[in-house]
Amino acid sequence: MGRGRYFVRSVVLPVGVTVLGLLGWHLACVVAQAEVFPDPYATWLAFGELVDSQRIWGDIIASLFRVTWGFLLAAAVGIPLGLVVGWNTLAFSALNPIIQGLRPISPIAWIPIAILWFGIGDGAGIYLIFLASFFPITVGTMAAVRNISLVHQRSAWNFDLRGLELFRWVVLPAAMPQIITSLRIALGVAWLVIVAAEMVGMDSGLGYLINDARNAGSRYDLVVATMIVIGLIGIVLDLLIRRLERFDEVKWGYVER
Amino acid sequence: MTGGSGARPKVHFEDVSKAFDQRGGTLSVLEHIELTIFEGELVCLLGPSGCGKSTLLNICGGFERPTRGRVTIDGEEVDGPSSQRVFVFQEYGIFPWASVWDNIVLGIRHLSKAEQHRIVAETIELVGLEGFEKAYPMELSGGMKQRVEVARALAVSPDVIYMDEPFGALDSLTRLSMRSELIRIWQEKQQTILFVTHDVDESIQLADRIVVLSARPGRIREVVEVGLSHPRDLGSPEYGRIKNRLYELLGVSHSV
Ligand SMILES: Nc1ncnc2c1ncn2[C@@H]1O[C@H](COP(=O)(O)OP(=O)(O)OP(=O)(O)O)[C@@H](O)[C@H]1O
Ligand SMILES: [Mg+2]
Repeated sequence: MGRGRYFVRSVVLPVGVTVLGLLGWHLACVVAQAEVFPDPYATWLAFGELVDSQRIWGDIIASLFRVTWGFLLAAAVGIPLGLVVGWNTLAFSALNPIIQGLRPISPIAWIPIAILWFGIGDGAGIYLIFLASFFPITVGTMAAVRNISLVHQRSAWNFDLRGLELFRWVVLPAAMPQIITSLRIALGVAWLVIVAAEMVGMDSGLGYLINDARNAGSRYDLVVATMIVIGLIGIVLDLLIRRLERFDEVKWGYVER
Repeated sequence: MTGGSGARPKVHFEDVSKAFDQRGGTLSVLEHIELTIFEGELVCLLGPSGCGKSTLLNICGGFERPTRGRVTIDGEEVDGPSSQRVFVFQEYGIFPWASVWDNIVLGIRHLSKAEQHRIVAETIELVGLEGFEKAYPMELSGGMKQRVEVARALAVSPDVIYMDEPFGALDSLTRLSMRSELIRIWQEKQQTILFVTHDVDESIQLADRIVVLSARPGRIREVVEVGLSHPRDLGSPEYGRIKNRLYELLGVSHSV
């Protein structure tokens, strides 16, 4: 009984709705007599074409390469910076206004400057992804540190934790659950931004592929197939980073306290 | 003095007052607290909610500064917390990100691995948490978490332990057994303990002396001696007499 219900809820329902969506898409194409916009079947064929032509792999690798390096660099700089700025009131007063001032600027707005500094290519892409991930990670880490409960701060004080020991025993682990959440957000944003960046200022990657397919004879079937690939990779990235939430040291942060 | 090793003064409050700035005004929380606590004594601070018990303990523990007066321990003025004097917090102070073992090892992290091992194992046995060394706090019951917190304090062999309503969040049965365990441990280790509570029975079951505070601003109304030896008979006439006296001091009638 319980298992049957679970099956209906978690398999039949989502699959059914997806099939209905595809059907609606198909019908809409028939009714509108769409010529340029592809129906689901044409998209499926385009997907096969992308895989057969081998071209998609190079573009996926190009996008993932930029996202990986930009994201890792942002985490390597943003987490330590966020820890220090969050903990030290002097550093907070000095740096918080700049961080808050730069944060609302969309990474897309940086594209011209990125191209000016790094030229068209991986350098500009990595720089943009760095910017896109850096602010969520730094601000998230800062907020996490500033939220450390008074009892834990006092415990640290009572047991004479200072300097690096303080960070290792209290500040970093206390902030970790929220840091992981900010990494998740940052990776999501990075994956959004890389597509836009590649459409405007790069000559490879999934974003470039979309633009190229449109320019080379309005191949909207390839455009839509690429969009679906982008979505699927985004889901996989999120699933991967969510694995960090399973460690015993951070589980406490995801249940109500 | 019961349970103590003599009458050497340990903690001394010299005319301590404390006021907080609150929304433009000042709120006087403690006034003219004058009190000496002797080595090895278990003293309860009893008073209504909001009267300044936690504040008094925080001042003694070095987390807050008094507005006037001072607190000395062994003749030296308290100017910050020390790992020789450990706090057991009203809300859980143990680290949820660390296992039971790592929580208890916190205060003795500078000792050799062998020493750490010996002390932690011993303390875990003392508080009855064998088998849970690797568990994380969220996998423990409230009472077990509180034991971890007590163990973390005991591991450093502190001379003074501050306990701020440590059993407040527990059910009444667990609370009762935690009290008798505390007495057992205290009789074995002979530390000086300052124990905050607003539970009249708790204070009579535990304390050598009970310091009764008035409602805010907290002042000492009276220091009540409990001349009963452990284990205490909760039905004895003396117990009832002290209980009546405490209710009287707190301004509530005992019979309902
Ligand atoms: N940091 C602070 N700033 C301003 N006011 C404070 C601060 N800490 C405590 N107070 C005030 O001091 C008073 C006494 O607080 P305290 O926590 O010492 O009470 P308590 O006796 O421990 O109460 P309870 O039994 O409810 O724990 C309260 O009115 C509280 O609002
Ligand atoms: Mg309190």
